[in-house]
Amino acid sequence: MLALTLALLLCVPPARALTDESTGGDVSIEVGKLLALDDQNHVFQPGMIWVEDGKISYVGAPRATPEGMRRLSYPDAWATPGLVDLHTHIHTGGWGDINDMVLAVNPGLRVAPTLRPANALMRRACVSGVTTLFGIPGSGTNISGFGVLYKTKDDAPYERTVLAEPGGMKVAQDSNPQRRSGDLGLTRAGMGWILEYTNRRALRAMEQNRFDLSLEQLKRVHKKELPVLIHTAGSDGVVNTARMWRVTFDTRSVLSHGSFDGWKAARAVAEMGMPVNHGPRTTDYPWGRNGRMNGSASEFVAAGVPNFSLNTDSGVIPQEEFFLQASMSARYGANPYEMLRALTIHPAKAFGIDDRVGSLEIGKDADIVLRSGDPLDPRASIKLVMIDGQIEYDRERDGLLF
Amino acid sequence: MRYPIEPKAWIATLFALLVAAPASAYWTPGDDDKKSSEDAEDAEADEEDEEEQERWFAAVGGDVHDGSGGVLRGATLLAKNGKIEEIGYDLYIPEDTETLDVSGYQIWPGLVSAASSGLFGGSSALEDTVDPFNRSMVLALGSGITSAVQSNQAGKLKRGEIEGIVMTPKVFTPFSYKNSDPRTKTGLEKKLAEASAYRREYMQWEEDVKKDKDLKAPSKKGIDGSTLEVLAGTTWAKFAADSRTDLLGIARLAQRYGFRPVIEGCTEGWTVADELGRAGAFAIMTPRGRKTKSERLVRDGGSSIENAAILHGAGVQIAIVPATTSISLNGIVGRDMMHLPVEAGFAIRGGLPEQAALDAITRVPARLMRVEHRVGSLEVGKDCDLIITDGDVLHYQTFVQWAVVEGKVVYNKEEELFFAHIRPRPEAAFAPEAKLDAGETLEPDDQEASSEEEESGEDDSDDGDDDGDDDER
Amino acid sequence: MNLTLSLLALIALAPSALPARSSGGLLALRVDRAETIANGTMEHAVILIEDGKIVMIGEDLPIDRGIPVIDLPAGWIVLPGLVNCYSRAGMDGKGPSDSKPELLASSVLYPASEAYPEVIEAGITTLGQYPPGNGIPGQAVAVRPQGDTPESMIVADNVYLKVILRATKASKKRISAGFKKLDEYLEKEKKNREKWDAAQEKKKKKKKSSKKKKDDDDDDKKDDDDKKDEDEDKKDDDEKDSPDVYEPIELKPEVKAFKDLRDGSLDALVSISKSADYLHFLDALGEEEIGWSLRIPLTREIDIFLVADKIGEDGRRVVVEPTLSLHPGTMRARNIAAELSRAGAKLVLVPRSDSLKSHKAWLRHTGEIVAAGLDRETALRAMTLEPAELMGVEDRIGSLEEGKDANLLIVNGDPFEPGTSIEGVMLEGEFVFGEVNQ
Repeated sequence: MLALTLALLLCVPPARALTDESTGGDVSIEVGKLLALDDQNHVFQPGMIWVEDGKISYVGAPRATPEGMRRLSYPDAWATPGLVDLHTHIHTGGWGDINDMVLAVNPGLRVAPTLRPANALMRRACVSGVTTLFGIPGSGTNISGFGVLYKTKDDAPYERTVLAEPGGMKVAQDSNPQRRSGDLGLTRAGMGWILEYTNRRALRAMEQNRFDLSLEQLKRVHKKELPVLIHTAGSDGVVNTARMWRVTFDTRSVLSHGSFDGWKAARAVAEMGMPVNHGPRTTDYPWGRNGRMNGSASEFVAAGVPNFSLNTDSGVIPQEEFFLQASMSARYGANPYEMLRALTIHPAKAFGIDDRVGSLEIGKDADIVLRSGDPLDPRASIKLVMIDGQIEYDRERDGLLF
Repeated sequence: MRYPIEPKAWIATLFALLVAAPASAYWTPGDDDKKSSEDAEDAEADEEDEEEQERWFAAVGGDVHDGSGGVLRGATLLAKNGKIEEIGYDLYIPEDTETLDVSGYQIWPGLVSAASSGLFGGSSALEDTVDPFNRSMVLALGSGITSAVQSNQAGKLKRGEIEGIVMTPKVFTPFSYKNSDPRTKTGLEKKLAEASAYRREYMQWEEDVKKDKDLKAPSKKGIDGSTLEVLAGTTWAKFAADSRTDLLGIARLAQRYGFRPVIEGCTEGWTVADELGRAGAFAIMTPRGRKTKSERLVRDGGSSIENAAILHGAGVQIAIVPATTSISLNGIVGRDMMHLPVEAGFAIRGGLPEQAALDAITRVPARLMRVEHRVGSLEVGKDCDLIITDGDVLHYQTFVQWAVVEGKVVYNKEEELFFAHIRPRPEAAFAPEAKLDAGETLEPDDQEASSEEEESGEDDSDDGDDDGDDDER
Repeated sequence: MNLTLSLLALIALAPSALPARSSGGLLALRVDRAETIANGTMEHAVILIEDGKIVMIGEDLPIDRGIPVIDLPAGWIVLPGLVNCYSRAGMDGKGPSDSKPELLASSVLYPASEAYPEVIEAGITTLGQYPPGNGIPGQAVAVRPQGDTPESMIVADNVYLKVILRATKASKKRISAGFKKLDEYLEKEKKNREKWDAAQEKKKKKKKSSKKKKDDDDDDKKDDDDKKDEDEDKKDDDEKDSPDVYEPIELKPEVKAFKDLRDGSLDALVSISKSADYLHFLDALGEEEIGWSLRIPLTREIDIFLVADKIGEDGRRVVVEPTLSLHPGTMRARNIAAELSRAGAKLVLVPRSDSLKSHKAWLRHTGEIVAAGLDRETALRAMTLEPAELMGVEDRIGSLEEGKDANLLIVNGDPFEPGTSIEGVMLEGEFVFGEVNQ
């Protein structure tokens, strides 16, 4: 009797995760064209992805689907990983609660309490294929706080939405903080001093093993446990930033914006080994003063920056138009495929989350987007968005939302 | 049946008439050797034409997209005095024709925008204030736009000229019909009722006056002139409306009084598309316009990416304009007049058929501007307004290589600083190679000629050295 | 003995000790180099001045004994006194924003202004002064920057009509409306003349056959309508009122200005700001043929080079400052003055502004654009003879030629080199600045 029970038990298939069968569960998706965006730049036409337990378990040419897997077939669709935007401000659902200017620098602040999961703006991001966001405070002060890395899930608990909290630090080094009035840090000299001073305080606290509540997270930045995103612009700003956060201090830093004529100093930034997260402006006519519509994105890439990614600084640019940043960068001189990578795997790598997102590779989160055509073409619409194996948007079920 | 005259006589008379009539038309004193043939006809036509200054233009070897959806691959377009003369193959091209070799490129109709600002550089009275050299006009041409409405005038982007800019002096007559301001509603309804009644009376009087000559025509006193024009169809009634209630009101008003409303905005049009379709409405809209529906409302509302598609499906004619109707160079690209085709692309995303999207930036705005007989598509007799692109005009990477307005090349991408450095035209690939017969070598003259060309270009793009030195604060 | 020697010495030295102020008398200037403008550069020039005029100028001319001679040091250069044809130095006040072509700048001259001596210090011996305001503010006057009364300052009046033309309906209408009013006046005047001529004719005829006519009238009156009687009566009245001397219709001054334009006795100086304004000006002018020049204030990114060829084709005079512009949207310099000149336009230069500083730096600024490619001879002419021609005073001003006013500028080196300074200024034979005569 016991042997029979044991045998029966062994025959029973392993329990499935408690997910809604219609939107989750293990699934195999067959598509017309698959852009893996991995380091080998695999493209499969047609292609297939298997999802098991919210992770990708197969990427490649179509194969016989294993038993028990739901089969989805989109023979006309293109599949890409979900997009990753490192500079966004839609986590509060609007413009409110973004800047808290308590002191001249606020390394103690965190975005987490202001996060409104599944707000309308996040939903729009989701239905347009943007699946991972770094929600950060504004650029009111030189260090505005620590942002949250989260996914644009609809109706999921906080724990399953947030990837990392704190996800990284936000610094504003140039062009916005100096517009605020205040008694310190009105000019770049003052701001530079504040940043350096604060960083050194954190380093000193580290050396002395001293606990300082407002500096604890900043210490983690210097221990390279957390990345830091620095808002900076202009040809002087970008050099300043690269020097401070790559040469003076050794951090996992990413230069954000680099607008106006920042592209002119692209070589210097590249030589200092600083990744660049570019946007919302991706072109420059007035500041370059050479009479050209300079495609600043293509200039940064041409200068050889180690990692080039794009952003929206949402809502300066609506989050759902993240893909258009790549289209426009491609229009004004960059390579379109490179720009697609700049929406996906490059930002993931820049922030060290490429073990989970950014490309369609075995073991990564099943964040998959199916489109009716070229991801950079405004004419192509979204058919399906899956995050962590869960279908968050299905055009047939939800209608065309963007 | 018996003829009073012999058949032979009839035949002779007929023949004489047939020959004599045309022959007399062709005969000119002294030209005895001219017969009533096609040659004679052409020769006389030529003589007449020589008296006017003939200006010929030809774009040779491109894929001609005439705007209706059809393509003629590797064809030639010929224009005379600014009007399209012929489109086809193996055309006879007269001497002194300004010829553009566009092999490998595509020819599209010049784009048309139903609303614009700043393109003409001037202010209200375009004829007297146009700055035909201003940068916005150059960039608009470089983005494919050859005609647009500015300050309620339909204008042609004639770079470098101030004559013949305005095609239609008054395009729209603005009206207001808002739920939020009930006076507009009662006011307009009253005007329409009065004007409509007047029209009926007038038509009746036209009949009656035939019998009774002394009958006085109905008095026009108190009748609003603009409203009368709307009902007569000589002007467009334009409403700025976005909300469902307002749109419904306008649609019903239009149906009641029999006019076609032009609606600017039309954000929630998709919720009342059928009514708008029945009213024969036009929508001047931006596909990416965003408006969130009030949470309190149960019914459909707010903006929808499918707005253009749904309206079009219901029979509303769509004209697309960008969010920013001027040229914007501040670095956030993709939403201004330089990117009109991108905006149309978003309508396609929402389900609008590609042809309708192309119409929305060509024929429909031309229709609204009352110049569909001149612009909006490439047909014989229409103005030679065209753009030559390096790809599908609705693709996000396509650039305008040349823009031609009324048979004159007014924009050449390689000769302007703005975009020449982006995917520059490989001239060598398309220029025919110099032909050499056996035993000959390139004359020194040829080499001198080419170096002269290099010097004359003022906008040499060889300034890689200067970057970084001339930064401004 | 010593006394005789001293006396002899005195007599011998007397001529050179005489003050070189030729009030009525002769004076000779000898200089290494003179820029005559009309006849190019002259080496070892000798200029003979009498009664405020240049009576002779030539290379190495022998000078009669008895004529006081000033030998200018080596390396010095003499030019004609500079001519600034477009200035409001010494004038203040606002003007209309309308068409007031009858207003004269000469009516608001203020001779005591301290600006005039300052202008002289800068080497300028003739000023073209225009009235203030927008639209068509009025007519300019050519003055010498010295005098006790306005009349004594005036060299020539009505030298040009200032017109500001912009691409607006109102601006263009001022021109077309001005000529329209002129046409209306001419029509009226013509009709008036015809009426008077007819009346005079009638008078003559009446005197000849007055008696015969009266008999006819008596007969006719029995038969004709009342209306005819009235007409006859009316004609009688006309004949009585018609004066013996023709009285023309009053020619209003604003209409006269446009008449002068059409006749060619007055030229217009049209101020424009961009290429489009140029096209709109030609459109507003229409078929009218008048003499006109262009004033183009050179702004940083002006696009006037786009119509430089058209302007040059006409051989128009253009009045600009000596400054470099930028090719729009870039940091590339453009020498608009040189471009216009090369295209065929006749270049006239004016200082960058009416401030004393700009006047004093005028030569230096011009030197900058010469270094940037403007032809040197053209530059010299642009500051002297060309503006004189624009104002129609070239018969007496603008070059070192016989018969012209002795207006001289004496500098201690190449006028376009930065280190050079002004050593002396002569105005109509008198030194008004500098210590040359000591």
